[in-house]
Amino acid sequence: MPRYIRRSSYPLAIEDPQLAEKAYGSWADAIILDFTRRADRDWQQDLKSRMPAAIHDAARGGAEVFVRINSGAAAAELESTIFSGITGIVLRGVPGAEDIQKASQCLDALEQDRGIVGGSLEIDVEIDTAAGVWRSLEIARASPRFGTFWANEQVLCKNLGMSSDPVLEFEPLEYIKSQLITVATSVGGQAQGMSYPLSLTQEDTGEDELRKAVRRARDTGFKGAVCPHASWIKACNEGFRPSPEETAHYVKVIEVFAEGLKRGMASVPMDGKMIDVPVDLRAKLYLEWARRAQARDEEKARAHGKPAA
Amino acid sequence: MNERVARCSMFVTPTNPRFIDKAWTRGGDVYILDIEDSIAPAEKERCRRLIRESIHKASKGGASIYVRINKPFVDADLPYAVWPGVDRIMLPKTESAAEMRHAHEIISRLERERGIPEGYIELSPMIESALGAVNIYEILTAVPRKIWSQGGGGGYDMAVNLGIEMFADFDQYAFPVANVALASMALGIEATGGVFVPNPSGRVDQSDQAVKQAEALHAAGIHHAGALHPAFIHPLVSGLSPTPDEITWARKVIDECTRLADMGESVGTLEGKIIDEYEYDMALRTRDWAAACAAKDRFKASALSRAQAGAQQQG
Repeated sequence: MPRYIRRSSYPLAIEDPQLAEKAYGSWADAIILDFTRRADRDWQQDLKSRMPAAIHDAARGGAEVFVRINSGAAAAELESTIFSGITGIVLRGVPGAEDIQKASQCLDALEQDRGIVGGSLEIDVEIDTAAGVWRSLEIARASPRFGTFWANEQVLCKNLGMSSDPVLEFEPLEYIKSQLITVATSVGGQAQGMSYPLSLTQEDTGEDELRKAVRRARDTGFKGAVCPHASWIKACNEGFRPSPEETAHYVKVIEVFAEGLKRGMASVPMDGKMIDVPVDLRAKLYLEWARRAQARDEEKARAHGKPAA
Repeated sequence: MNERVARCSMFVTPTNPRFIDKAWTRGGDVYILDIEDSIAPAEKERCRRLIRESIHKASKGGASIYVRINKPFVDADLPYAVWPGVDRIMLPKTESAAEMRHAHEIISRLERERGIPEGYIELSPMIESALGAVNIYEILTAVPRKIWSQGGGGGYDMAVNLGIEMFADFDQYAFPVANVALASMALGIEATGGVFVPNPSGRVDQSDQAVKQAEALHAAGIHHAGALHPAFIHPLVSGLSPTPDEITWARKVIDECTRLADMGESVGTLEGKIIDEYEYDMALRTRDWAAACAAKDRFKASALSRAQAGAQQQG
């Protein structure tokens, strides 16, 4: 089950004058802060002066806050952006494990300097190159801080020499997505992503299409998505968790299996399907997943001063 | 006997007399005596004690016998699982080389103690988690014992581990299945296969689903599959055997390639198709697999006759 309830991650620029309103009104589980290095002034000093307020603004609606960092300049960018209130970083352009280890060492020092609990800052990795995919296992194993993979498919397609137009009738990156999900899961992390073709078009599409896409992404193994539009967030929050119908089904599964156990049977038929130990375990995990998602919604509702739905 | 022909391996629960007593009549190549997930925790001990007599009961129709043990109870299960008549131990949820080495050491000791040639019993790691899938190479190379690779996804446990709802209409296990299959093939290890066949209903008792599965596996060159319901046995056994047309074609290719070789050539045409060393190799594999299947079928038929006669005498 998901290590994190992080169904929707919404990127916003710290330069956006409406950052606070957008973050608060989005109801995203996480806000990813992007920044521009200003050429007309000391960009590090500029960022340091603005980040604490940006983090506060982004978190006001109950979202976790991440900052997106370029791995090639990670040390300087981390020094300028890591302050109390940050949950972690999204590192992009990562070619191998060494970048994760270096970033982790920087975070060790920054946590100590800035009053942040040691080892608490998470490193998420945006995979956007073939090298990143190929070395995904060593990347995920490089630091206990690793939390989440996210395939930036538009950039990855370009790196692979593929068209980023959704011209194919099948999912072109199916294997890569499955690899990132499997590898992340193998170290106790998770992966974020959207299903094809929305993963490439990033369109502000209709609700029905979006819900189907989220369902397919969830069935692929993704536990959330990075949302290019605020309009994606509600569908992601509702779709990357067990639905009320699934919850009701799994309550029944647990009941049927428990009855079977009373009769000494650990394999019980239900509607033509076999209910056994792993199915029962999954049912319990799904109910726990639903409970945690509900708790997360309540947490955000409290941040908005509203009762939970 | 012919334990390598395992077109259909079906799980049976030793604690259920209805399943175990009828198994020999069903025609499976292999029965897997399960101490794991189909056995309730309170029944594990009773199940362990039933394994030895179940070996004889389930194999009466010529089937080979495997035993699936519990990952948390390897030490407790193996003394009840390693007996003459068992061809393979299935190690569920394998995730590391250390688990393989531990099981191998216990099996080796029990083989010595029980008059089984050391190394006879195969060990089959079942890859049912993401960690197992990424560690597959070290798992398959961990011990000096014959290894079978037992899938890399598609199962209930992998779904639990990945946090996905099974039975979507697309391949949810592209990487773990391929990674396990590639590692197995690279090491020359046979695998019980997984080729994606849509089954949105999730039902395990429909023979038409078994037919589709057999066609997909056959096309992928995979000879072995598992089953949870008797309805799968005959479709898998017949569907994973070479067809008469395939056997005939293989014979023709072998004959023609032999003739070409006698003339010092390696490439020719047969009925409009180019044949070369790869076609020849495929033909040899088809011939050998056909012979193995035929031998297994004869063995099963003979055993079944004897068992039926015995049952009539008793009845």
